[in-house]
Amino acid sequence: MNLRPSTLLGLLVLPLALFSGCKKDSDTLTSTGSVNFTVRNVAGSQDLALNNTVATTAAGEKFTVSTFEYYLSNIKFTKSDGTTYAAPDTYFLVDQAKPKSLSFTVPNVPAGDYTSVSFIVGVDAQKTGLTDPATFTGDLNQANNMYWTWNSGHIFLKLEGTITSTTPNKPLTCHIGGYTDPNNAIVMAAPAFNGAKLTVQAKHTPQLALVANITKVFDGPNPVVLSTFTGAHMPNAQSVQIAQNYAAGMFTVEKITAE
Amino acid sequence: MAGPRRTPWVSRRISWLLLATLGVVGSAAVAHLRQPAATLVTPANFPALVYEVAKNQPNEATFELGRQLFYDPRLSSDGTVSCGSCHQQSRAFTDGQALALGVAGRRSARNTPALQNLGWHRSFMADGGVRGLELQALAPLTSPQEMNEPLADALAKLNADPEYRRRFAAIYGPGQIDTPQFLKALAQFTSALTSADSRYDKYVRHEPGGTLTAPEQRGLALFQQKCSGCHATDLFTDESFRNNGLDRTFPVDSGRAHISQQPTDAGRFRVPSLRNVARTAPYMHDGRFQTLPQVLDHYAHGVRPSRTLDPLLRQPDGRRGLPLTAQQQQELLAFLNTLTDNNLLTNPRFAPPLSAARNQPPVASVGR
Repeated sequence: MNLRPSTLLGLLVLPLALFSGCKKDSDTLTSTGSVNFTVRNVAGSQDLALNNTVATTAAGEKFTVSTFEYYLSNIKFTKSDGTTYAAPDTYFLVDQAKPKSLSFTVPNVPAGDYTSVSFIVGVDAQKTGLTDPATFTGDLNQANNMYWTWNSGHIFLKLEGTITSTTPNKPLTCHIGGYTDPNNAIVMAAPAFNGAKLTVQAKHTPQLALVANITKVFDGPNPVVLSTFTGAHMPNAQSVQIAQNYAAGMFTVEKITAE
Repeated sequence: MAGPRRTPWVSRRISWLLLATLGVVGSAAVAHLRQPAATLVTPANFPALVYEVAKNQPNEATFELGRQLFYDPRLSSDGTVSCGSCHQQSRAFTDGQALALGVAGRRSARNTPALQNLGWHRSFMADGGVRGLELQALAPLTSPQEMNEPLADALAKLNADPEYRRRFAAIYGPGQIDTPQFLKALAQFTSALTSADSRYDKYVRHEPGGTLTAPEQRGLALFQQKCSGCHATDLFTDESFRNNGLDRTFPVDSGRAHISQQPTDAGRFRVPSLRNVARTAPYMHDGRFQTLPQVLDHYAHGVRPSRTLDPLLRQPDGRRGLPLTAQQQQELLAFLNTLTDNNLLTNPRFAPPLSAARNQPPVASVGR
């Protein structure tokens, strides 16, 4: 076999080039980063302080809040080309009384520029409908008191407080949940990025700052008149209507920080 | 409203779940060969078990721990009411009360149901609101009218008790006692309360002692003809929710409609099993009937009309209820008494453990 030196060199280099090329592609495919979410609960323009802040609905009714908790789950990131990444096993309980719960991190998000994010306000039916308590780990644990023991399933959002615009004042109880039709209160929110990009790359943790406006629980497509509101306690049509309210307008993106 | 989307990762998760489940079942089958599950054998005359026993493989230590928990009144808010306060073995785990009695003399809205053959239930409570045996214990534990104890508080009490810490750790390993450990241990006891040894059972299985008298046999034939449409199979329930004509309207307790919010479910309640029925008085979801003759009289003469009345209680000629002569009622009664199972009622394995008997305040006599 008569090979010129340059051909020989080419034969030696080719596999190396192929190998390194593969390695590079593989790196790109597996490159992931984390996204840190923060949530700031507000009542209109004021930061929410439990048992203190007076919230005002669009109709001018007023209430204060002693408990405000909700689940955010099934977080999904979308790129401008429409491709998506659904983060597995993302279930976070946001509790205004627990500052640590107002920030959480989603790991292993593929690198890239994302133009929107969506999540369920609540827990998906497949998960909350399970009957083995061993499947309810972490924030889903029933000991968190966000679970209906008499009607199996998680409470998606819990708002308790006092209606202060009535005389006398009235207790305010709003427990929303339900995952089977026609009382399915599972709703999604996809607060707009307004042209901003969420850039995910390895070894960086960008921050997505969300604001949740508590008055939107009662304002929205199905306004709730607090003076005649007798509370929400179970999966029913009213629960679905209130879920539609907070899906429509409670969440906005305040800021996206590269890191 | 938007439901959860079936995204590819969800499908992937399902297939992983299937694989994991197959793995668990496989290893459980091996474990079963090694250590027969003496506490959960399906009787020959029963349908297939519903409870996923592979995820809570029976063993003696966990059963005994569940038994201890079942009879421990410290799990109630004021330390006076245990599961066993309302679920008394001699009454097939009922209490003899019309409405269950909880902490501080509070009355539940419903009659205490018998606890037996729970592994064959698809749902729990008179309205079917609870969807699994392990979830079920949470309802009476946390109900303000019953044990009135938040789950987190119950777990804190268990974790503060060195003896519970030791027993849980011996089974589940070191660490905090958590929700699944607590609920699975309790379920090992409640799922073991099998009633399958009444004289009727021995009769259908052709076992020694399985003889029915002539009136009892006529009662059985009548039962099959008139009652087994709802009280089906040898579990004596089809687990459906039905309106048996107790009331015309349902302002206090709408039953299944409380869960489903559907008007078509108003006044429908779970069909109860009739096993040990001679021992579970009073009867109906609100305990309104004191005796079995009163119950039979209701079906013969007392069925009230409403939009959701069960079709099986409407006769072709427009009359309501089940036509039953006095003699037929006597024969039915004779048959129902053959469903009493002394194994369930007296088996010492199901009785309060000695240590729990010490803890038990004098509420054991509350049903008298």
